[in-house]
Amino acid sequence: MRNENITFGEAVNVFVDGTPLQAHRGQTIAAALYASGRRILRRTRVNGKPRGLYCAMGICFDCVVKVDGETERACMRQVEDGMQVTLLDPLTKPEPKA
Amino acid sequence: MSFARETDVAVIGAGPAGLSAALAAAQAGARVTVIDEYPQAGGQFYKQLAGGFRVIDRARLPGDYTKGDTLLARVRGAGIEILNEALVWGSFEPGVLSVRHRRATGTIRFRNTVVATGAYERAAAFPGWDLPGVMTPGGAQTLVKSQQVLPGKRIVLAGSGPFLLPVAATLIGAGANITAIYEATTPLEWAKHAPRLWGHWARMNEAVRYRGTIAKAGVPIRFGRIVVRAEGAESLERVVLMACDKRGRAVPGTEHIEEADTLCAGYGFVPAVQLTRMMGCAHSYESGKGGWVPTHSDDMETSVIGVFVAGEVAGIGGAHAAMAEGTLAGLMAAQRLGHTVADADVSAARRNRSRHRTFARLVADVFALKPDIDEIITDETLVCRCEEVSAGAIRAAALSWGANVNFIKGVTRCGMGYCQGRVCGSLVETLTARTLGVPAGAVDSFHVRAPLKPVTVKELAAFHPPIPDIQHLKDIHGPHHP
Repeated sequence: MRNENITFGEAVNVFVDGTPLQAHRGQTIAAALYASGRRILRRTRVNGKPRGLYCAMGICFDCVVKVDGETERACMRQVEDGMQVTLLDPLTKPEPKA
Repeated sequence: MSFARETDVAVIGAGPAGLSAALAAAQAGARVTVIDEYPQAGGQFYKQLAGGFRVIDRARLPGDYTKGDTLLARVRGAGIEILNEALVWGSFEPGVLSVRHRRATGTIRFRNTVVATGAYERAAAFPGWDLPGVMTPGGAQTLVKSQQVLPGKRIVLAGSGPFLLPVAATLIGAGANITAIYEATTPLEWAKHAPRLWGHWARMNEAVRYRGTIAKAGVPIRFGRIVVRAEGAESLERVVLMACDKRGRAVPGTEHIEEADTLCAGYGFVPAVQLTRMMGCAHSYESGKGGWVPTHSDDMETSVIGVFVAGEVAGIGGAHAAMAEGTLAGLMAAQRLGHTVADADVSAARRNRSRHRTFARLVADVFALKPDIDEIITDETLVCRCEEVSAGAIRAAALSWGANVNFIKGVTRCGMGYCQGRVCGSLVETLTARTLGVPAGAVDSFHVRAPLKPVTVKELAAFHPPIPDIQHLKDIHGPHHP
């Protein structure tokens, strides 16, 4: 969506599993991923099920990702230039080290 | 990095209740510190555009962006300290909060506090509610209002309660394609409450405005229908709905399917009482207020002296009740510190609080959760999303362990994950009560544990709590205290 009355923040580059993703300052990681069309943000530890955004306000922790090695809620943490985001998928890749 | 701050009145939460409390206390002369988890004050009701976005002409923004402007401007002009991106993760002794502010951890010592931590959405659970694309109505609204991102291309709204209407209006205003809104209750079921609407014209006018926006967009509202399943391979593809009777039971033969990539489903709100629990405030179960709430005096003071509550944490009541209670709590907290407050201000706040709480009770009665609504939760349905615990496991544990949800937690791991039971807590309470055939209030709720909100080990390691006064401890506990 684009509202012509609202301009987005300056462009920043983040890396998602090593792939560059253009985002805008002020966006959360989750919003940048959803805007790019990505809706699966991680896979679960026990059953390997896909998960996306659920509460989008920091309560549910379903959108957790690793940011520069630390666990963060993708709906709360805002993008920064050069940020390395790793999506969690414990069944196919080990957890990244901090 | 570590800090040790002090203030007269610590207000926790910068939504309508917290901001109103801060303003009232500051105007009475108290030194006020507001602690809020988000990058910008306003809470969920006055959700702001994220920093980084620029508005060309603020006057052309939809009304729901600008309605908090006046309150926020008054707060900014009142000399109130606001800590953004600050969360209270514990309270281990009276008058002291353990706080993480950005990357630093420390303490804030206060004389009185107003807890205005708000609420979060009551999860609507059904098979498939963990699929990507299924989210809460408030989540969709936040994504649009704060981030300018639509949650999907074809959206279904479902659940119960007045909140579905503003969410629909926000999404429509952003150009979203909503196929329909499904409300579990029906106007026929509301009819008996109609006389109580008398006098609440402003609230009714709001509803009429939202209904107008929804009708103009051609979005149908279908009553007496519930989601029974969400389906899709890797993310949501279909929503299966059925008609339900007045007890919330699905009516056989009424199944129909909506193709959609997004489903926003919610059953209203649950008060966020983790902090008042940790502070030792007494709580009682009031279904009309959303479940367990801290008991409080007419002045909004809890059972712990100097700890006041305001807004949704004191019982779901909407933003107007929250502002009235915030003002009242702020005035009383300041008065307790010796500041003079005008009797007229106190009685006006009391009057407002009563009027808005009366309306909130009406809304709670009209949209009361139908008693058998959990029958769509099959044993295979996930209940604890974090630890991946199914309804069947919780029902079995309830039969073995009885109405103690903390035993059930220990046995099944439900509520032990990252969200600390915030999402599944109300579900586990309901399932347990229903399995055992006891009233909801007869079931305990999850105990709270620090940290209430995430804090890293690195930050904790840099945190130096005050060294205990050994002589003082010996005076209290006797000479043999270690």
